[in-house]
Amino acid sequence: MFKLGKSLFFGAVFLYLYLPIIVLTANSFNTSKYGIKWRGFSWKWYERLFDNDALLTAAWHSIIVAACAATFACVIGTLAAIALYRYKFRGKSLMTGSLFVMLVAPDIVIAIAFLSLFLLLGISLGFWSLLIAHITFCLPFVVVTVFARLRDMDPNLLAAAKDLGASDGLMIRKVLLPLLSPAIISGWLLAFTLSLDDVIVSTFVTGPSFEILPLKVFSLVKVGVSPEVNALSVLILLGSLTFVILSQMILKKGKR
Amino acid sequence: MRPIVLLGLAALAFSTSVFANQKVVVYNWSQYIPDGLVAQFEKETGIDVEYSTYESNESMYAKLKLMKSSGYDVVVPSAYFVSKMRKEGMLHPVDKTLIPNLKNLDTNLLNKPYDPNNQYSIPYLWGSTGIAVNGEEIDPKSITSWSDLWNQKFAGDVLLTDDVREVFQIALAIKGYSGNTRNEKEIKEAYELLKTLMPNVQAFNSDAPRMPYLAGDTNIGMIWNGEAWMAKEETKHLHYIYPKEGAIFWVDSFVIPKNASNVKAAHAFINFMLKATSAKKCMEHTGYATPNLAGRALLSNKVKNSPIINPSKEDIERGEFQDDVGDVIQIYQKYWNMLKTGAK
Amino acid sequence: MKVKGFFAVIAIAIVGSWLGLFIAVPNVLVLITSFLENDPQGFFHLQFSTAAYHQVFDPLFWRVFLHSFEMSFKAMIICLTIAFPFSYWLCQFSSKVRGWLLFLTIVPFWTNSLVRAYAIKFILGKKGLVNSTLLFIGVIDKPLKLLYSEFAVIFGLVYVLLPFMILPLYASLEKLDKNLLSAARDLGANGLQRMWYIVIPLSMPGILAGCLAVFLPAMGMFYISDLLGGAKNLLLGNLIKTEFLSTQNWPYGAAMSISLIVLMAGMLFIYYKAAQHVQKRGEFDV
Repeated sequence: MFKLGKSLFFGAVFLYLYLPIIVLTANSFNTSKYGIKWRGFSWKWYERLFDNDALLTAAWHSIIVAACAATFACVIGTLAAIALYRYKFRGKSLMTGSLFVMLVAPDIVIAIAFLSLFLLLGISLGFWSLLIAHITFCLPFVVVTVFARLRDMDPNLLAAAKDLGASDGLMIRKVLLPLLSPAIISGWLLAFTLSLDDVIVSTFVTGPSFEILPLKVFSLVKVGVSPEVNALSVLILLGSLTFVILSQMILKKGKR
Repeated sequence: MRPIVLLGLAALAFSTSVFANQKVVVYNWSQYIPDGLVAQFEKETGIDVEYSTYESNESMYAKLKLMKSSGYDVVVPSAYFVSKMRKEGMLHPVDKTLIPNLKNLDTNLLNKPYDPNNQYSIPYLWGSTGIAVNGEEIDPKSITSWSDLWNQKFAGDVLLTDDVREVFQIALAIKGYSGNTRNEKEIKEAYELLKTLMPNVQAFNSDAPRMPYLAGDTNIGMIWNGEAWMAKEETKHLHYIYPKEGAIFWVDSFVIPKNASNVKAAHAFINFMLKATSAKKCMEHTGYATPNLAGRALLSNKVKNSPIINPSKEDIERGEFQDDVGDVIQIYQKYWNMLKTGAK
Repeated sequence: MKVKGFFAVIAIAIVGSWLGLFIAVPNVLVLITSFLENDPQGFFHLQFSTAAYHQVFDPLFWRVFLHSFEMSFKAMIICLTIAFPFSYWLCQFSSKVRGWLLFLTIVPFWTNSLVRAYAIKFILGKKGLVNSTLLFIGVIDKPLKLLYSEFAVIFGLVYVLLPFMILPLYASLEKLDKNLLSAARDLGANGLQRMWYIVIPLSMPGILAGCLAVFLPAMGMFYISDLLGGAKNLLLGNLIKTEFLSTQNWPYGAAMSISLIVLMAGMLFIYYKAAQHVQKRGEFDV
């Protein structure tokens, strides 16, 4: 009985998560341009997509930025969470405060503040400015996730390591990181998702030499999102599935 | 045969050498240039194009202003932003000797108050905002004016664009005022009138304006003529009506930002877009009218004679072109916010 | 613990300089802007003024604030109700299955949220999936008005923000000591009691983290309100966006943003103090 309820619940949640995806997958095969009515099956949007270099490049750029931003955000964010949890130092509340501000401030304010900063510092708009901005707005999400796990961790573990004479670095490598890994992975996924999806901040902090996918999609809003974008979304979905399956297989082989 | 090919190659080599290693950074509305036209420009001139898109005049303006009018070489703002940017010294004067194709343009659409003598801007496409009606549900003949939107029959059905200036322009037109008024009293009267429209309003749409009609979410409301034209592909029941108080007209123009780095290449790009064949392609692609007479001559009769794309002389005279209202925009916005949040 | 050791110094230096340069400096710029004079010709005048803050006390700001607070709060509660059992049960699967399920949960979110918001329009529209299904099976005889409503905005917010609840909760629940639960069961605690006295208190940091990560960003997600709410159910983000872009009244926009931050920080602080108070009174030795 309980088992059934659980499966039903999981089924319902996944239906909710995937229903829009199913709709857009269907539309990517729809002959009709606006996907209002089903007008027959067609590959033509995929063919168009492969002719659309600009869209493909933008998608590739997005994935690169998201992966880099998520990784850096995880490194800095984990360090921040550990520092906030373990040490007392001057400016600690300032640190918490600034992370909080980043979490609350609306995108448009962050976007304009970043652009002003980059112009002040003379950083030209493109990959690097985009990366810095993305790392920064992903940070609080990583810190929040990792810190939550740290806070309900058994403090005796660290004390024990300390008593056994482990240095901070060693203790972090051998005790903390393995313990924190689910939180760091969660944080990475959150940051990756966030970065892949950001429109507003990116509009302002990237230049014409480095276009990313969300900007392309956002500027389509006024004319209607084209089915090529649906096709691209389906490909990204399939790509990420293949990537994970492959990496699982490789990991397994490595273990043997 | 051979000599011609050679000549062609020589011409190509020559044109590439003039602009060797040059680039032009274009900042434009999405889907505003048909696929392939940019590539054709690159091939013909040897200039690389960096093509970047925006979704509103406002964010384009904010970014350009912060970047001190640099970073982009060709931008396509609407007329009232041309006017604003011109007054704020954000634009580079256009050198007409570098744009011989200017002769293709309809002089009726040049030298307008937003930019006297077209010192800073060259019109690209123009269009109108009018009424869309789903002929399956509502008799399109029964709708002739903006005030028909107030009809109680349409409670909860009317779709407005999410654009403060356009929506106020309706009410101002009904009241007989200019849609570009800077008089707070008139704006307030328009607001009072719009408040009585709110029970009819289903949504302020920020999607492509044709989509809610095609999806069947609404049967009557505002639409841009190019969108009504594109909707023809899907249905024959969507009608576009020029209201008797006058439709809202707008022009989008090419401008060169003050501190653009590739001014020469920018002119070459604008000149290319003003070629008859380019203009024809743009008009067919977007469903908006080109001011390019030579380009129009090449169009098929279906496009040339479509009343959706080509308003009659009377419709143009009744309508009004949008212009900048300066800082009065803050007054519009105040009433706009009150309208949307239902404030007393 | 005092700062000592190589690692601590390096960690604090890296984090501190990053936060200082890329968060503190830009936000100080915003703070300064909020105290400047409004100038529609160039966003602002370099002249001290508190006019923007007087404007914040306009009833309009408060009406939008309360309404978006309410919608974001509802979205947060719905996210929590879905995510908590989801993450809790997720952790009971074997670690291999768990990885897969977690991955399947996050993958839909790698599709651009605007594209997904469009798909939601297809689902909620007058002739959309939900209405046609309900009409077909005869539950209703007139299409429901789902799109362009508060419901649609909350639906969209939940849809976009759900992983921000699931992931922190998962990270926090994953390490829950199973022995504690079996010990409690041996001592005769039923499922509800185990949940209330063990699981929830122990995962409180995760719950809080998730709520923060959902609630705070929700107030600013203007495109959800634009696309799904027909721009009639404004979020505070809509208001701030128009001040920055349409009216170019940057001081007012900045002042609204600062007020939002202060208000939220204030509420969080009160909540934190209250929680501390309750915790102290109800503390028991384990």
